[in-house]
Amino acid sequence: MTAPKVSVADRLHAAAFAIGGSGLVCAYWIAFFHSDLTLPNFVHNLTSPAVVKLATVYMGFESAFPLADLFVAVTSALAAFYLVGQDAKAVLFGLVASGALGFLAFIDISFNLLHGLYAPATLFRDVGLQMEALINVSCLVGAIWSIWRLWSHPLRRAEDRPSRLLDGALGVDAAEAGR
Amino acid sequence: MHLDLPLACFITALAIGVCVEALAWALRLWRYRSPIFPLINILLVFGLIEGLSVGWFVGGRDALRGVFPVLFMAGAVLGILIEGLNEFWLHAWSWSARPLLGVRRSIDKAAFVGVTWGFVPLLTVLLARLLMTLSVEV
Repeated sequence: MTAPKVSVADRLHAAAFAIGGSGLVCAYWIAFFHSDLTLPNFVHNLTSPAVVKLATVYMGFESAFPLADLFVAVTSALAAFYLVGQDAKAVLFGLVASGALGFLAFIDISFNLLHGLYAPATLFRDVGLQMEALINVSCLVGAIWSIWRLWSHPLRRAEDRPSRLLDGALGVDAAEAGR
Repeated sequence: MHLDLPLACFITALAIGVCVEALAWALRLWRYRSPIFPLINILLVFGLIEGLSVGWFVGGRDALRGVFPVLFMAGAVLGILIEGLNEFWLHAWSWSARPLLGVRRSIDKAAFVGVTWGFVPLLTVLLARLLMTLSVEV
């Protein structure tokens, strides 16, 4: 199969899935396991028993994410693959990946808010947490944009869009009535 | 005999590549455009990319606990990329008409096989560590 003609918007969308949803997720977890780049500063500065407890909870919480992010990375890569191939499955995998990404972003935001990690005083002095906030916002904005775009994408099949079928049927009825 | 882990990962990934290509040839799952391509695939994609770069770099340095999903993730993402490059641009190999576990369309076969690439670094690291243990015992 040769590469079909892909619109600029679809190319951009495929690149967002491939780079943002797959590549950066892989890079983040490789960095997480092999460096301190992704960790917030408070994990290194264990100044009191309360911080030690928070750091332990935080690390336990973060360590639960790789399996869920595997799902996001693989479905995002499949969405990019099918978008380049202009196949209807791009919509399926794109919506699954975007939904999963939004879900994970909300869980992370919820954890950080409930544990006071997004309190302005904490956030302003911790570069690691600022990076995490940026990742959370990017995931959320990317997921919403992607769902919004795929919802009305031409590759979405007509039988999955009852409103379109209804419009079509009404159009036919109106045309017949006008005869 | 002493083996270090990067070499063990490379050799294991090559062995997995040879087994996969032999099985695909026996079942006539895909055909290469040139007889040199399977060799390139085994050496470059299995050995260097999935075995050494992903397998050893991601999973070969610390304890394996927790890193398994990352191994599969990186292997599958690279696999989907490689299958996509071949499917849409390179055409180094093509799919036979035979269904692959019920999958019939060429684009779906490429996507399916792309995801299964995730098992290569995972198996590579597990088998390479086993190989290391055995080589120490010998």
